[in-house]
Amino acid sequence: MRRGLIDSYYLMVRGLRDALRQPEVELTNIFIPMFFFAVTVGAIGSVAGVAFGVDNFLGFQMPVAVLQAVAGVAGSAGLGTVTDIERGYFDKLLLTPAPRLSLVFGRICADGVRAMALTAIIVVTGLIFGSGMETGIAGVFLIIIMGGAFGLAYAGIGMSIALRTGSPQAAQAGFLLFFPLLFLSPAFAPKEVFAPWLEFLATINPITYILQGMRDLVLEGWDLRSLLGALASIAGFATVTLTLTLAALRSRTA
Amino acid sequence: MSAIVASDLKKHFTEDIRAVDGIDLDVPEGQLFAFLGPNGSGKTTTVRMLTTLLRPTSGYGEVDGLDITRAPGEIRQRIGVALQEAGLDDNQTGRELLELQGHLYRLPADEVRKRARRLLEVVDLLDAADRNVKSYSGGMKRRLDLAAALMHNPRVVFLDEPTTGLDPISRETIWAYVRELNEREGVTFFLTTQYLEEADRLAHDLAIMNLGKIVARGSPQELKASIGTDVVTVQLDEPHVTRDRAIEVLRALDGATEVRAATNEVVIYVKGGSRAIANVVRILDEAQIAFDEVSLTHPTLDDVFIQKTGHHITEDSDQPEEVA
Repeated sequence: MRRGLIDSYYLMVRGLRDALRQPEVELTNIFIPMFFFAVTVGAIGSVAGVAFGVDNFLGFQMPVAVLQAVAGVAGSAGLGTVTDIERGYFDKLLLTPAPRLSLVFGRICADGVRAMALTAIIVVTGLIFGSGMETGIAGVFLIIIMGGAFGLAYAGIGMSIALRTGSPQAAQAGFLLFFPLLFLSPAFAPKEVFAPWLEFLATINPITYILQGMRDLVLEGWDLRSLLGALASIAGFATVTLTLTLAALRSRTA
Repeated sequence: MSAIVASDLKKHFTEDIRAVDGIDLDVPEGQLFAFLGPNGSGKTTTVRMLTTLLRPTSGYGEVDGLDITRAPGEIRQRIGVALQEAGLDDNQTGRELLELQGHLYRLPADEVRKRARRLLEVVDLLDAADRNVKSYSGGMKRRLDLAAALMHNPRVVFLDEPTTGLDPISRETIWAYVRELNEREGVTFFLTTQYLEEADRLAHDLAIMNLGKIVARGSPQELKASIGTDVVTVQLDEPHVTRDRAIEVLRALDGATEVRAATNEVVIYVKGGSRAIANVVRILDEAQIAFDEVSLTHPTLDDVFIQKTGHHITEDSDQPEEVA
């Protein structure tokens, strides 16, 4: 166990070094959510109060930008793994005595750290432009940790597809899968204004609870139930995606 | 003691695709063993099974006294592997790559640094050690891959076509280093190759593989001597027109044990080759078959391969060249 964690640490450092040496990838990961953040707030922000009773639409949208950025980062976990497979480097790692779980966990952890960094950038940008933070500095840290945890959980999707298929195109589907989940959540308007069928889908969508947990930290203050809902959703998401990843890893190395 | 053992080892991907179809091997410790065969013959699949990357369909395999299916983790600790494609991470530097390798093999941190430096020196990459691997040439990558395989002082090293695609100078560098490690430190090498010269010059012992089976086994000298004849090769002027007729008339050559056709030539295995040349020329003249050249060689591993499989082993194509 201890050995596996040490190996994961070395592989995480390698993943982070990889990211630092490709700054263009990180710029894309931050640019797209920031662009949507700015455009959505610019387009709907002034009418959001009248339309669906949201006065601080900047704060309302900030968690959406965070989740978009995190999903972008985590989606690339699959691409990195496909690159390793194509280069033959994944075989090289499989040939070391490192536990196979560490080979996957190290890269996923690196994505978790990258997700935390992007979350911090978005939250600080939101604060500069007046989103506010009802839970103060503790809330800021909590959102950053939740961003990292969701990144870690979401990376499992791209990773499992990558291990299963070894195809870069398929691995990118990990990021694309995020959009239906986002649009079936109260990303742009509260759930209460949804049509009943959409409200039902939003209710069973785990993204809804992660979004709500972060949003309450920004707009409402401490709400233990909302926070636990978000953390439970992230944990559930992680359980499913990491199980899929382990199954894919087992099938690749069988 | 045996470093590598295989007994009826098989890997069948489907009923029709039998990549490895029941091979037996026994490679003694400290030997430099070459596994020779064309692309698609099953060499790489054998290496992947012996290095625990692929589970055999059936049969038994052992590396350094450990069962490949029961103790894969311990085997990985004891072996070094450089696979066919230099498996490297382009975004790391050479030094970082070796150091990560050392950490994953659980070497103490100060030893990791020392050993990485030493190996970079040995494979002549110290000047490029802090450059990203993506800037390395093919030869540099191969050398770095070899260094990575040796980072933890393995007792058995598998090299899957370590010199494919390299220029002659890089190839010589790798050969020299492999030979030195084998002689000086007694490291066992299991080397797959499609370069006959490589197997001939490096290996103590070799096996020839074709279509998933081992078709010959012995030292290069033993295998070449097993042919028992000299080889006379006739380059025909119009091979597509005259080849069959040439084979027919040359079968009457005194002392010929076998006459085969390759793409543009006829190969005659004959006792007393130097005396036979004059007769070959006479027979072809009498039959009015035009030819460009008649040459005499002693048997090569390619001749062994042809005799055992009916194919040339070619270095540039995916499939063995057909021999009529």
